[in-house]
This record gives sequence, C-alpha cells and structure tokens, in this order.
Amino acid sequence: MSAVLEMRPAVLLRLARAGTRTDTLRVVLTAAGALLGTLALLAGLTVAAIGTPLDVTAGSRAQSDQYSSLLLRQPGLRPGVCLAFGLLTLPVLALAGQCARIGAPARDRRLAALRLAGATPRQSTAVVATETGLAALLGACAGFAVHFTLRAVLDEPNADGRLPLPTDVLPHPVGMAAVLLGIPLLSAASSAVLTRRVVVSPLGVTRRVRTRVPRPWPGLLLLAAAAAFAGVGALRPEESGLPETDSVLVEGGLPLLLLLIGGVCTVLGLVLGTAWISHTAGRILHRHARRAPALLAARRLIADPWHGSRTLSAFLACVLVGAGAAAVRATFSALWDAETAAARYEARAGVDDRALTRADPFYLDSMFLVDVAVVTAAVIAVGGLLVALAEAVAARRRTHAALIASGVPRSVLARATLWQTLAPAVPAVLLALSLGTALGRGVMGRKAAAGGHRFRACVAADGCPDALTDANSKAVEVPEMVRTTHIPWAELAFQAGGALVLLLAATAAALLFLRSTASVEELRTQ
Amino acid sequence: MTVLEARSVVKSYGPTPALRGVGLELAEGEVLAVTGPSGCGKSTLLHCLSGILQPDSGEVRYRGRPLDAYSEADRTRLRRTEFGVLFQFGQLVAEISAAENVALPLLLTGRSRAEARTAARDQLDRLGVAEAAESRPGQLSGGQQQRVAAARALVTEPGVLFADEPTGALDQLAGEKLLGELVRTARERGTSVLLVTHAPVVAAYADREVVLHDGVVDASGLGTGRLGAGARTGTPL
Repeated sequence: MSAVLEMRPAVLLRLARAGTRTDTLRVVLTAAGALLGTLALLAGLTVAAIGTPLDVTAGSRAQSDQYSSLLLRQPGLRPGVCLAFGLLTLPVLALAGQCARIGAPARDRRLAALRLAGATPRQSTAVVATETGLAALLGACAGFAVHFTLRAVLDEPNADGRLPLPTDVLPHPVGMAAVLLGIPLLSAASSAVLTRRVVVSPLGVTRRVRTRVPRPWPGLLLLAAAAAFAGVGALRPEESGLPETDSVLVEGGLPLLLLLIGGVCTVLGLVLGTAWISHTAGRILHRHARRAPALLAARRLIADPWHGSRTLSAFLACVLVGAGAAAVRATFSALWDAETAAARYEARAGVDDRALTRADPFYLDSMFLVDVAVVTAAVIAVGGLLVALAEAVAARRRTHAALIASGVPRSVLARATLWQTLAPAVPAVLLALSLGTALGRGVMGRKAAAGGHRFRACVAADGCPDALTDANSKAVEVPEMVRTTHIPWAELAFQAGGALVLLLAATAAALLFLRSTASVEELRTQ
Repeated sequence: MTVLEARSVVKSYGPTPALRGVGLELAEGEVLAVTGPSGCGKSTLLHCLSGILQPDSGEVRYRGRPLDAYSEADRTRLRRTEFGVLFQFGQLVAEISAAENVALPLLLTGRSRAEARTAARDQLDRLGVAEAAESRPGQLSGGQQQRVAAARALVTEPGVLFADEPTGALDQLAGEKLLGELVRTARERGTSVLLVTHAPVVAAYADREVVLHDGVVDASGLGTGRLGAGARTGTPL
C-alpha cells in the first residue's frame, strides 16, 4: 500500500488521526455506528446458525425446541428474524453516513492544505478512508466484544429449561469474518466515494453540489412498488390462512422477489421524492410566508432541497415500515377474530371445547417484536437526524453570528430551523404513512377468513378418548368466517403524532447548538 | 538557462478572461517579480506556471517539458519535489505542529519521520522559527506562520519557488524580514523564484520585473532592470 501511496503507513496514520474535537466526535460516532451494525448483523447470523433438528417425524419443518420463543423455534420464521436484523442495520448505516458529515468543512480544508503541501488526490482520499476505516474497525471489534459478553451473560435457561436467546450457537466463522472485515472496508470505501464529491485542489475545496431542481419522477418508483406489491397480493392464495401467508413470505421465490423489489422501490422513491417535497414545500412557503423565519426556511429549502432527503430518509423509511406493520397487525387482528369465531362454532357443534385453544394468536403477538424493531430503528434514525441538524446548525455558525451581530434575534433563527425541518417532514411523514398502509393492505389483503371446512365433532357425553366413530361423533360444516380488515386509523394517528414529537425533539436538541455556536465571537475567531 | 517558460498562455474563468496570451521565461537562479494591479491575472499566471491550474490554451514548460504532459498526480509530485509554493495565508495544516507541517512534503514522498523531522528543524532554524517547531499554527503569530510556510516551501530544496503575495498578511517589518530570508536562502541554493506581488517594495527584491495589465504583459514594464546588486544580497535597493 505504501508503494502505491508513496508515504509510509505511520505517516498515513498520523495524518488520519490529526484533527480537532469535532473530528474525534466523528470518529467516536462512526465507531458507535459500526458497533451497532456489528451487533445487528451478528444477531442475524446467530439466528441463521440455528440448526433444524434431524428428527423428521415432524416433517422437514421440525422445531428447535430448546428455545422458549416461537420466533426461534420455527424454522419457517427464522429467515424473517434474520431479515429483520439485516433491515435494522439500514438506519444504523444511515446514522453512520450522517456522522461522516460531522466537521466535514474543516476536514475538507485540511485536505486542501495537504494537497497544497504536495499530497496527491489518492493520498488525500487515503487519509479520509483510513480515518473512517480504522474507526469502523474499532467499532466492529467492540461490537464483537459486546456480542460475546452478552452471549455469556444471557446464557441462562428459564424455568422450563429452554433458552430465551440462541446462546448455544455461534455464527458461521465465514459470516463473522465477513462482518469484521466487511464493515471497516465498506465504511472506508463509502467515505472514499463520498469524498469524490469534494474536489480538493491546492487552492481550496469545491463541493460538487447538486444544483438542479428535483423532479417528481421518484413517483414512478412508487408506482413500480405498488405494481410489485399488487403482484404479491395477486399471488397470495385465496384461502389465505396464516400458514399460507407464511409460505408466501418465506417459501415463495417470486413473491419474495416482488416483495424485495417493492420494498427497495418504495424506500428509494420516498427518499428521492423527499427532495421534490422539500423543494415544493419551500416554494409554497416562500409564496405565502410573511415573516422572516418562514422566508429564511423557504429560501434554504429551495437552495438545497436534497438536505431534506439526506436527513429524513432513514426516519421516513421507519415510518413507512411502521405503517406497514400497523396494516399487517390489522389483518392479523381480523384473522384472529375470524379464527376465534370459527373455533367457537366448532366448540358449539360438539362437546369438546379444545377447539377454542386451537386458535393461536402467535402472529398477532409477534407484531409486538416488529414494533420493538421499528421503534429501535426509529430512535436510531432520529439520532442520525439530530446529528444532521446539529451539523447544519454548526455549519451555518458564521452566517448565524453575522445575523445576530446585525440584530436578528436568536429566536428567529431557531424558528427558521424549525420551519425548515417541519415543512418537508410533515407531508413526507403523511406520505410515508399512507404508502406503508396501502402496501401493507396490498400484501395482506382487505379481508381475513377462517373456517369453511368440514370435520367430525365428538358428541359423546364422556368424550371421545379413542377414534371418532359415527356413534360418538357427527359431521360438522364450519361456515367461512370472513372479517374485513379495517384501516388502523388510531394506530396511524398515534404513529403520526409520535413521528412529529420525535422530529420536534430532534430539532429542539439541535437548536441547543445554536446557542453555543451562533455567538458573535465566531466573527473574531476565523 | 531557462527553467520555466510560458508561451501564449490563455486562461478564462467562464466568460471572464484572466490571461490573454502571456509569455515569459524564468532563468535558473533568477528572482522574477510579476506585478500589476489587483485582478490583472498575476495569481492565475502563478497557478498556471506551477501546474495548479491548466491553461485553456498556450503552453507552460518546465525544463523543456510541457506541463500538460504530466498527469494530475505527476504535477502534484512535481510541486512536491521540484517546486515550492508559498501563498499569502491558509496553507498550513492547522491540526499538526509546525515541524510536522514543514516535514510533510518529505513524509509524503516516503522519507522516514526522523529524516524529515531533522530536515524540517534545520529549515525552521534557517528561517528563525526553530522555537515554534512544536506549536500548532493557531498558536503562532501571522509572521511566524508565514515563516513556517516558507520553510515548508523550501524544505525539499526546490528548483523553483512560487510565492503569491507572501507578505500580504504581514506588517511591513515582518514582511521585509521574511522576504530577505527567503530570497537569501533561494540565492544560496540557486533556486529560481517567481514572486507575485502588487507591492513595489516586495518587487524590489527581484532581479527582474514583469508587469501584467488585464491579462497581458505590459511591454513598457518588461525588464526594467532597476534591481541588481541590492537584490542579490537579499535586500531591496
């Protein structure tokens, strides 16, 4: 490497370590992001490492009975758990991406100074990639340490001798090596790619800024997503009881592919569309605003509409998934109703009320875990949002200081930041909620049904300990119980309110930096 | 012998022309001042001659080889090894010490830290700022910072030193002291110096002066020859 870069590794390390407290903060947060990402990936790999028992009496889908959680016991559910952990890394990566922007102007100036001192473009990129890669490596190592510590601490069977977590298996060594090396390498590569937007010449730094006005074409991506999800709906068996839904999600190759395509198109469409929403919100605000804060915010939104998509994307993805989960929960709830009604009918037909216990609320209950994952992801995404907002406030400190020096009250600047965050965020959150709900309902359907089958019910007064015969049983036809899936308005309203509160909290926290950074002293220090 | 040569160099920033066919030569060991009013294209000419900017048309040759034959990375290496560049301000890396700043061009070429540090300390000592070696740029005065920058420009013992308003941020006394040391060191080593300035008192350190007006060489200001023996000793006449 040193032959390619000319300088010695020790020099590269020294230059990568050079920095201010802001640079240290960036390194720490990058390492923290890598730690969280490593934990999520290791958790997913651990679940993937759970072996399916070889006892085939229960068929190929034999359960791993050593675990207390059904999510871990059932082989058909484990891929979903792995996927959930994989998806959880997305907001973590978004957070890490935001952290990489902390102190970027000062770092860019340092790179320009290095170029002036004779560093080639490759050398200056290597300095950035080394800083990020090392931070991510430290974070990944810490993630491994935390994972194995927790594994040892939580390896306690509960009262019935079952493990609450898969602490008896280790992730595959290749997977662990891929995480340990992949996270630092990916981080270094992404930072190198990000610096391609920064042209560091000896004369200074030019950031290639996207100046074109965003267009509404991301709407096409949303249409493509809708088509993909409609395809999933069309492939869903008409008698979509839970096992069938399970098989569609887990075993069906085409539906799974359509789900993935739909998911990616939705998130991309939403993220890219947010820039258009920001720009449009800025234009509308500019047209109607009469006071300074709104006018300032409008101008900023028009000048850099991509800021909105950068800062809000991960959060909006969480809102979208949350709304989708609410729609899925509504379906499961309707299905639970239908199954319970069918079970009651069965129980009434015979004297055996065990039918009532066959209705299993597992899927409905498991949505709690989905909620936990969504809330965790949303909190991480809000962390990224906070970092982005604080960095934006810090980057404007000279402008803010000049405005304050010329008599502009701090409250005006604070309200301008609030407008700038909320003007695009409110419509984008509403769009994400609508899309998530529509997609969830598209995949799961608008009706849930149970029953519609025939069986023989025991009618003997003392029960039917042996096989059912004509004498002790009768044929029963259970009518199909159909329940309409309602739009979960209350849950959606709660999510919208929660999202708004989180956005306000992040903005308020970022505004604390306004007090410390927008000091008139700033005008003297640079 | 000509070290650096510009032939009909043209450079524009968008529709605004900065240089409109400039030609000049810099001889080995010569101290050449490029002067002219603000906005006449002096700095642009220096950037083109040092390979930081590429001319729109025309040619710059270093020791007979056109600079546009070098890749971006090779031009950077040329600036690191053969050229020294000194600007008015802002060229030091704020996060590392003065000695590390001076050692940087040597470290970037793969020299050992000990070797680079020794050379850096020698150079700082020559320019009278040895005591500032371990300080960061922010802890130094403007004059000290500029001396550190000059030490860095000279530490590789370049063939050509480019100086763009090197005393622009300094008071007259500090500026004269820096220029005197810079020119004396360059002369001891036979380094050619291209000095861009709008101040006659700075130009007085040069052997020869070229005057630019609106992006072209003002023929009336060519080779005034008003400098000589005094400049040779590193003090203005």
